[in-house]
Amino acid sequence: MDNRVRELRAAHDLSQSQLGDALGVSRQTINAIENGRYLPSLPLAIAIARYFSSTVEQIFVA
Amino acid sequence: MTTPTRRHGFRAASAIILLLGGVGVAIATWVGGSHGWAIVAIVAYAVLAAGAYVWAGRSSDVAALMRGGGDERQRGLDRDATAITAIVMSIAAVLGALISIGRTGNPGVYGEFCVIGGITYAISLFLLQRRR
Repeated sequence: MDNRVRELRAAHDLSQSQLGDALGVSRQTINAIENGRYLPSLPLAIAIARYFSSTVEQIFVA
Repeated sequence: MTTPTRRHGFRAASAIILLLGGVGVAIATWVGGSHGWAIVAIVAYAVLAAGAYVWAGRSSDVAALMRGGGDERQRGLDRDATAITAIVMSIAAVLGALISIGRTGNPGVYGEFCVIGGITYAISLFLLQRRR
């Protein structure tokens, strides 16, 4: 599953660490999500979508 | 529903567990009559505990778990590692029991491990399927 987390993070000029802190997860987890190594839980996916004022389906593409 | 948020944990968590384990080993060794080895054991565990305390201060996945913290992905890593460990231990116990039966006609302590593992799995499955 592809996602646009890296693109949105860059657009908001955030580091992985800053985004992780905002979402309450580690920098490593943001890195794993961006590289497609980890598929976040539904609560985390929703948190990411809300943070970027978007929707889950716009960020995570099957 | 699991929370995605990071649990910060407690930096000395692993160090305290190691120290408690070391005290247990040292007491058992002392009671067993090997006083010198008891002192060696407590010193070795104290060194390991100091190392664990230092390592737990880092920002890695392992350090987060050593603090008893971690986010959903890190806790998932811990669960998977625990499951793999349990599978390997179970295989070792079954093989050990078979070898022991072949040698002595008795599964010995390996058989007890098999029973404990089987009962624990059955109870865990029963309880977990009622929650999810």
